[in-house]
Amino acid sequence: MTRFLPAEDYLPSGRYELLPFRFERLDDERVLLSNMAGEALTVSSADLTTLVNGDLDRSGALFSRLRANHFLRQPEDRAALELLALKLRTRYARLRDFTSLHLFVVTLRCDHACRYCQVSRQSADRASFDMSRETADRAIDLLFRSPNQALKVEFQGGEPLLNFDLIRYVVLSITERNRQHKRDIQFVITTTLSLISDDTLAFCREHRIFLSASLDGPEDLHNANRPRPGADSHARFVAGLEKARDVLGPEAVSALMTTTAASLQRGPGIVDEYLRLGFHGIFLRHLSPYGFALKTQSYQGYDTARWLEFYEETLTYIIDLNRSGVRFTEQHAAIILRKMFSCHDPGYVDLMNPSGAGIAAIVFNYDGGVFASDESRMLMEMGDDTFRLGSVHEHGYDEIFSAPALLSALEDSFTLSAPMCADCACEPWCGADPVYHHARHGDPLGRKAESGFCQRMKGMTRIFVKAMEDPFVAALFRRWALSC
Amino acid sequence: MSHMVRIHRITAAGKGAEMAEGNGLSVTLDAQVYDLWAVHQAAYRLSDRLAIQVAIEGSTIQCTLYPVTEGTNSDSLLVARADFLREVTDQMLRARIREVTEPVRNLILAYTFSRSGLQK
Repeated sequence: MTRFLPAEDYLPSGRYELLPFRFERLDDERVLLSNMAGEALTVSSADLTTLVNGDLDRSGALFSRLRANHFLRQPEDRAALELLALKLRTRYARLRDFTSLHLFVVTLRCDHACRYCQVSRQSADRASFDMSRETADRAIDLLFRSPNQALKVEFQGGEPLLNFDLIRYVVLSITERNRQHKRDIQFVITTTLSLISDDTLAFCREHRIFLSASLDGPEDLHNANRPRPGADSHARFVAGLEKARDVLGPEAVSALMTTTAASLQRGPGIVDEYLRLGFHGIFLRHLSPYGFALKTQSYQGYDTARWLEFYEETLTYIIDLNRSGVRFTEQHAAIILRKMFSCHDPGYVDLMNPSGAGIAAIVFNYDGGVFASDESRMLMEMGDDTFRLGSVHEHGYDEIFSAPALLSALEDSFTLSAPMCADCACEPWCGADPVYHHARHGDPLGRKAESGFCQRMKGMTRIFVKAMEDPFVAALFRRWALSC
Repeated sequence: MSHMVRIHRITAAGKGAEMAEGNGLSVTLDAQVYDLWAVHQAAYRLSDRLAIQVAIEGSTIQCTLYPVTEGTNSDSLLVARADFLREVTDQMLRARIREVTEPVRNLILAYTFSRSGLQK
């Protein structure tokens, strides 16, 4: 008598059952599948038809992959449902925490005159464009009404260092009040670093304030994008970066770039500049259709298809760097890949559903106006106050967070019920962006077939899937996904 | 209404297409085979390229495809027609997946939120 059953006895028996999934054709041959938790697989077009018709070979490798990744189950696989539910719950766990990111626009004044900037003013008139202490106090009241244990306070401008006295006041006030509240609070200043001083850095070190800086690439490109008196924006950035790293440590300063038409031919050079200055990654960011970017025609400088070409070329360069042993991350990809490879949402406000507007981030403008997102206040600067939720001087927490402008935008843009989004395989790692679609199409839902937001996300997904046919890239992308 | 039909990939434009008045292209679909909802979904997906007029005539769904951009030639309109038919097929497939997975989807959602205190 044999001690072991034959292998056939362990093969799945009976009919398999499909689990909920969506698909999107990548090309004539390949189809991208995603399940409820956002896990993705690529299969052939013929295999998709076979799968749905119930004719898949139960002993094949594809069957095992689909079963392991919760696209189908055998009748006896009860754990599959519980696991999917757990992953789904994890994916939406942030919703329960509510608003984390609170942006304080401490001034609109700026020493730069960037062509694509949405909001800055060259005025020296402090009274007109600086946030007052009274406004800040009321904003801090609202901040502590958030139920979120982890609060991020980000100072924005203009150039926020032009109103550093107020930053100092807000940090000290929040720190003092937090002795009672006991929240986890992180402070960030978004700055060009052009006006950073020793005093500023000493205060940042004392209160563990991070700096989020701006670097568009090599000196000529950066200075062309970011004009200022003396045409020395890049030199000031480099000097400020060195000083800030000395005082705060190398990881306390990050940088963001913005892609202008002048950047499109220079992806590798931009990456090289980040490397030269000691950064370990870059966030390849497109222009947004707001403010001066529209007025100065910067936004029309390239379309989504051209940005995707730039993105793919630069991403390929970054992959090749990693192949040669240089560790460097494209952070935009890392955020999306984390959603594709895990059920953990990295909390990137632009790619959330329901939209992160208001419920993940909120903006207190210099004059006390409260906005659902940074883009919302940029829209306001163009004369459109659709997403102005109220004023810290006139409205309470309940009025602001249940403002019809917020609730209807969240409901109308909800991707699980939006046409095209509801059956799109990219939905789990995409997001609703009511402000973008309002700006472009005149309503928070927009027309997805024409949406640059939608084209960009689908385009990036195609680039990732194609790149991952290379096993080195597949492993690299998994590492990025886990690191963000 | 959806039909439990086996799905076959459409690789060509299919029968029943002809030029309609006003630079449109007419496509006739059998209402016994194709779901009207799937036709509407496909029309929406292609709305950046085509404006599609849909009408029921007896046992058929009559679709007239109009190019959105000026200067579209007949060749690109034929390609768009093939894309439309492929998209209708994909929408049928999506509807089928949605239908057969509906009970388990509801079960998973119930599991997911079972301890949230949000359910009535």
